[in-house]
Amino acid sequence: MKFKLLVTSVFLLLLSCGKKNKNPEPEPVAAFDKQAMLTNMADNIILPNYNAFKISLDSLISAYNVFQSSNAITDFQRVKQQFQTAYLHYQKIDLFEFGPAETVIVRMNFNVFPTDSAQIKTNIASNSYDLEAALNLDAKGFPALEYLFFGNNRTENSVVAGFNSSPNQKAYVSAVLNNMFTKINVIINSWNSSYRTAFINSLGTDVGSSIGFLINQMNYELDYLKNAKIGTPLGKKTLGIAIPDKCEAYYSGQSIEYALQTLTLIQQTYSGGNGVGFDDYLDHLKADYNGVPLTTQINNQFNAARNKLTAITGPLSTAVVTNASQVDAAYLEIVKLLVLLKTDVPSRLGVIITYQDGDGD
Amino acid sequence: MAIKSLHTYLRQPVNIAPLVIFRIAFGALMFLSISRFILKGWVYNMYILPKMFFPYYGFEWVKPFGGVGMYIVFALLLIASIGIILGSFYRISAILFFVLFTYVELIDKTNYLNHYYFVSIISFILIYLPANTNFSIDNKLLKNTEVTLVPRLFIFVLQLQMFIVYFFAGVAKLNYDWLFEAQPLKIWLPAFSHLPVIGGLMEKEWLAFLFCWIGCIYDLLIGFFLFNKRTVNIAYFFVVIFHLATSLFFNIGMFPYIMITITIIFFREDFHIKILNILKRLCKHSRIENKSTTLFNCGKPVIIACVIFFAIQFLLPFRYLLYPGKLFWTEQGYRFSWRVMLMEKAGTAFFFVKDKTSEREIEIDNKHYLTYMQEKMMATQPDMMIDYAKFLKKEYEHKGFTDPIVRAQSYVTINGSGSRQFIDDTVDLSKQSNSIFKSKTWVKSY
Repeated sequence: MKFKLLVTSVFLLLLSCGKKNKNPEPEPVAAFDKQAMLTNMADNIILPNYNAFKISLDSLISAYNVFQSSNAITDFQRVKQQFQTAYLHYQKIDLFEFGPAETVIVRMNFNVFPTDSAQIKTNIASNSYDLEAALNLDAKGFPALEYLFFGNNRTENSVVAGFNSSPNQKAYVSAVLNNMFTKINVIINSWNSSYRTAFINSLGTDVGSSIGFLINQMNYELDYLKNAKIGTPLGKKTLGIAIPDKCEAYYSGQSIEYALQTLTLIQQTYSGGNGVGFDDYLDHLKADYNGVPLTTQINNQFNAARNKLTAITGPLSTAVVTNASQVDAAYLEIVKLLVLLKTDVPSRLGVIITYQDGDGD
Repeated sequence: MAIKSLHTYLRQPVNIAPLVIFRIAFGALMFLSISRFILKGWVYNMYILPKMFFPYYGFEWVKPFGGVGMYIVFALLLIASIGIILGSFYRISAILFFVLFTYVELIDKTNYLNHYYFVSIISFILIYLPANTNFSIDNKLLKNTEVTLVPRLFIFVLQLQMFIVYFFAGVAKLNYDWLFEAQPLKIWLPAFSHLPVIGGLMEKEWLAFLFCWIGCIYDLLIGFFLFNKRTVNIAYFFVVIFHLATSLFFNIGMFPYIMITITIIFFREDFHIKILNILKRLCKHSRIENKSTTLFNCGKPVIIACVIFFAIQFLLPFRYLLYPGKLFWTEQGYRFSWRVMLMEKAGTAFFFVKDKTSEREIEIDNKHYLTYMQEKMMATQPDMMIDYAKFLKKEYEHKGFTDPIVRAQSYVTINGSGSRQFIDDTVDLSKQSNSIFKSKTWVKSY
């Protein structure tokens, strides 16, 4: 590799010298600083999001511990509040499934919905379970907690009474919380100890590079928003017959808020927040979309998707049945956004959209 | 007259050494490539994991064996490569290699690569060449004779095959986008702006143009310079530089190394004789007394077979002219033409299946049926969309849909253009023909 690099460098330098003498460049524009983009991504988006999530999870755990000893309904209300905050913050880390998060498999461990309520009941009744078992992937994480906290059309009083009368259930919630706590700490420690350095120094665009990860996961997340969060409940896979209980956060009715948060995170990852992001990279490359800058087209499409999502009335689980056309309108805008992010962006940046290495041509 | 003198030229006896070296080098490269393929887990990813495969037109009967079966195929390929290297059971090994390698390639056009096509062709040629009649297990054990001279034709076919690869790769670059837009290099090179020393140049437009033109001129001319005894050395130097540069920039696996190694077939015969003697000394190869210098038959039938074989290869790259539409867009007649790294094309396709009775439609999650590689390839290639649609039709018939209608919405970008609708999204793709004798009129015009 070193030798190859040397030979090629010499070759190119020779070429460039010959050319430059004849044809001096008017004003050299500096090459795009990919490291600055990745550093911004790590320091201003990924790590702060992980830390914010961890803080919200810690608060949820302490609120739950208070409730465990007090059994008071007001403390339970506080648990539910903290739960919703933590679940919302979770939406801000879901995208980063590479490096440490890929090892931990965050998506599969934190947010498989719909949850398997029968499995949860079995686990609680037996008081003997291995939360690391594949069988329990859909009996833990936020959806499992949501089911236990927000119940099946039960009053708050009866939910609290349920907790108070079942030490097993209390222990189960603690175990689920602890499972997430352990995993998120592993991820944050890994980012702080070594992964951040590796991340900001991986400057290629091939499979396994940081840019490759970000682009691929951005698309994975958008596809997940389109299919799992909106399309499936809307009935896109079931001949147009809505399945409301396949909504994310079905019991607490926060589906649209979380979907919006997911969209926000995708946009943040794309734009680098207030710092350098893919939009700057595309502008630097003068990426064009049939006459307008590609970034303008993408920003418009983010706005269109956001507007249509915001316009949906009421919890998504109701809307897919009574206001399907509103949901469908949002769905269509997300599809258009997906085409831009999945086709135009990687193609323009020379990023390979795949998780599989290949021989090329 | 010219034909007659060419025939005389091709019948001239020359030393067999280049052929022997070629046999050993090719066998060794194949052994490495196949091992690498297995170790990278690609046998599983490409031939065991997928739920469906994309066969070639006319070869729909080619199906993968199950899990163990595919590994046996690859193990046999390794054994066959060893057979080729050692020249033991050479002909059987060459046939086995050609048949199995081609079989594997025919299973799924997702994995089509020009260099796999090249390997198939070379191994096909090797079947007919007596590359095992010197410094081989076969000639030691079976006959204890050694052939030292062969007709020049036997070396020439390999050289001509290499020439074709280069020359048509050059012809393919004679298009507007490549020469006057510097595409796709204008997209690909800036991705390397982080490289040490040369990184700063990667975003320069003139560099993309320079690379495009050098690449084109190189491909068109290198074959001629390799054929010329006086320029072969300097030409080879450029071959090495060129392939190392491509391997640095592009994810093209073994191909550059294969080309660098076997291009030595153009070297003068004393080079090969020297190498062969060194190898013989290293292997303590005892001298064989029974030297045979008998020429192999190189009569009219052989020449005619060669002419047909190469004529096909000269014509295939131009078959695209028989189809309407822009080649890069429709890809009708794109494969088997040495179009290497010629465009940046990407797409996204959404498939829908409609139940005729209820008039209701579902959207397909492609990930459920296709690997990432298959989905990516399918999204830009119309013939693969038909295969997929036909698969979905069957799949949903089993699930109880009556007369399923399969349509797709697909958006494709080519060489940095904004993505646009690729095919007519009202057409029932499962009813379209994949015949190469029909053009795919439902692909939107570019």
